[in-house]
Amino acid sequence: MTVNPFEALGVEPVFGLDLAALEQRHRDMSRALHPDRHAASGAAERRMALGRAIEVNESFRILKDPVRRAEALLALRGVATGEGKEPPASPAFLMEVMERREALAEVRQTKNEPALDRLITEVRALAGGVEATLGREFASPNSNPAEILKRMGELRYYRRFLDEAASIADDLL
Amino acid sequence: MLLDIFDPKAPPQAIGIDLGTTNSIVAHVRDGRPVPLTTCDGSALLPSVVHYGAEGSVLVGRNAASYATREPERTISSVKRFMGRAAGDAETTRLGVYKFVPGDAAVVRFDLGKLTPSAIEVSAEILKSLRQSAVDQLMHVGGAVITVPAYFDDAQRQATRDAGRLAGLEVLRLLNEPTAAALAYGLDKQENGLFAVYDLGGGTFDVTILLLDEGVFQVKSTGGDSALGGDDMDREIAERMLTAMGATTQQTRTPEVVSIALEAARRAKHALTDAPEVSIELPQKGGGNVLFSVTRADFDTWIQPLLERTGKACRRALRDAGLSASELNGVILVGGSTRVPRVRSYVKEVFGKEPLSDIDPDLVVAYGAAIQADLLSRASDEVLLLDVLPLSLGIETMGGGVDKILPRNTGIPAGAKATFTTYADNQTGFDLHVVQGEREIASDCRSLARFKLSGIPPLPAGFARLEVNFHVDENNLLSVKAVELTTGISQSVEVKPSYGLTDDEVEQMLIDALDHGESDFELRRLRDAQVEATRILLATDKALDTDADLLDEAERVRVEQALNATRTAASSASTASAVESAISALDDATHEWAGRRMNRAIQTAIAGKNLGTVEQSVAHAAGIEAHLAKHGER
Repeated sequence: MTVNPFEALGVEPVFGLDLAALEQRHRDMSRALHPDRHAASGAAERRMALGRAIEVNESFRILKDPVRRAEALLALRGVATGEGKEPPASPAFLMEVMERREALAEVRQTKNEPALDRLITEVRALAGGVEATLGREFASPNSNPAEILKRMGELRYYRRFLDEAASIADDLL
Repeated sequence: MLLDIFDPKAPPQAIGIDLGTTNSIVAHVRDGRPVPLTTCDGSALLPSVVHYGAEGSVLVGRNAASYATREPERTISSVKRFMGRAAGDAETTRLGVYKFVPGDAAVVRFDLGKLTPSAIEVSAEILKSLRQSAVDQLMHVGGAVITVPAYFDDAQRQATRDAGRLAGLEVLRLLNEPTAAALAYGLDKQENGLFAVYDLGGGTFDVTILLLDEGVFQVKSTGGDSALGGDDMDREIAERMLTAMGATTQQTRTPEVVSIALEAARRAKHALTDAPEVSIELPQKGGGNVLFSVTRADFDTWIQPLLERTGKACRRALRDAGLSASELNGVILVGGSTRVPRVRSYVKEVFGKEPLSDIDPDLVVAYGAAIQADLLSRASDEVLLLDVLPLSLGIETMGGGVDKILPRNTGIPAGAKATFTTYADNQTGFDLHVVQGEREIASDCRSLARFKLSGIPPLPAGFARLEVNFHVDENNLLSVKAVELTTGISQSVEVKPSYGLTDDEVEQMLIDALDHGESDFELRRLRDAQVEATRILLATDKALDTDADLLDEAERVRVEQALNATRTAASSASTASAVESAISALDDATHEWAGRRMNRAIQTAIAGKNLGTVEQSVAHAAGIEAHLAKHGER
């Protein structure tokens, strides 16, 4: 994405965004840009509105997602991101992730829905904790890119875990 | 005949069409209220049945349905189930009476001997009939909003839009059926909150969770099954009837016998809505009759597995929306199949509350389509529909897996980019396979298109970088563009839809459908260009009224010159291309201005919101009331 998502939605480039206000902003902008608003215009203007509505929607999706929001912030600060760029996780963290993955594999076998829900709640809380740390790190005047990248790596682990848990939950429905 | 339709002096009236599996409806907004138009059958509901006579006649509606047991193979009902399907698709092998052209063609065709119409052409016959009814009553029909199941994939949507074009309709918008129903309910009841729409039709099931908030209809999640509906309930009964009739083998299940069973099953299902038990006399193999009895309890048991499939989709939609059933303010029932008592009680079990059905579940979708058509044609800003992508879009990876580009329930319009690189030295071409669905293996998903990107400059492996752009528009229709990044050259992408027709095929079908071929087609193109010119002239005049201050003097002169040239071309040019080039010059002259106007609209939309929250919601509520009052006056 070449567009700066903060600029596209007209919000401050900070990590700790008020998500409710962001949603309101997205909706207000959609009021002006949604292709339905331009249905009575000529083809060229309709295309322009479609392009800008897509840009606003895509920016909203990026900013709603903590990992992608952090990536966008780092991009603004000229720091390269992506999975290869992040420092390796600490052995303790990897150990913890491995244990949870084993628990998840077991839930997949046993189809134990309450256990799955417990795992999801736990990991969501852990992810929330990392997000809070990231928020502090980004807001700090002498924030450390290496620390931020490490936390982003952790958040990615949790994200993948939750995606997998969601797909197991899908099968259990 | 397509061209003798309109009285140009009458103002064009936008229409909404519910193209249903069992029945189709056309409606429009009159005096601020949606009303159904009478179809050729004399009622609002037109059975979605098309009969192709051996001598070339085409009948639609009740007249066509009367041939169902006499000439079952030539009498096509539930054609919606075949939209966007290829020959050999699972749908073609279910209990039914039709013969299909064999092979692996991208579009399934009914084998009627000399004629082999596709599902698109059959649907176009239904749409033509509805359009004619609208023309008869409204004099001058403008654009049409056509509804589709929310869970329709890209191929099924493309097929529906093509059917509309083939029927001579200007398709303003494809609108999701549950969203249409919510629109009709929301404006009627002026309620805010979270709602689930449970839409069980003849052949499709949708569940949609939306937030109604002061004129904004925001879909949170959607789910469903585009091959599940009342037809499947009929099949449950019909299977058992066929056994009672002694028709247990493939040979004894002739189209005539199957159509008798399906017809009797439908009658039994309808009767069981009011009666606890029904008995129907059926012809038996080898002569004589057999009395077939079914109780409501039997029927409820038989359809339970179908209902459980809907329940699973409901639970998933709730989870995708991050909600529990208790957080919903209401559940709206849509679709004829929700008249079945067990369906109602099941919905109540799933959501834990009594569902609403006070707007006729057969008509509510058409009402919503009519409202949306009216809003679009007036460029109204009272209501905003924010919908989502129903099924994830992805690209097949090297190992046959799926790389998800846009996940399900992404807000539309949506866009995403993916970058690819070459894996061999001097590789100049690249194959991409776009799929839609939730499965992890590409071959388990719906194949949408295969792209051949060609003309990549010869470079060492891994050097060329291809950026592929996906766009999903407000109709949930996908388009793809590719750019080679090292050279910056935008590559032309050859789009080969895996399913459905190409634009050229649709154009050829349009030409074939006209009595005088090419010349009529030219005339039609001219008329389309004139409609577009009129639209732009109106929009530009309106923009000059409000936003002329955003133009400097030189720009204003240029816009006015282009405006006058377009006006002249629209009224006197004799070729479509003359009108089209005037439009394109006007587009050029207004392009930058349009950007500035859009910025101003955004500023206004944002600025209005910096007021206090109480003031805000009062202003919004007033907006909705003004909407209804204004309609009342008209």
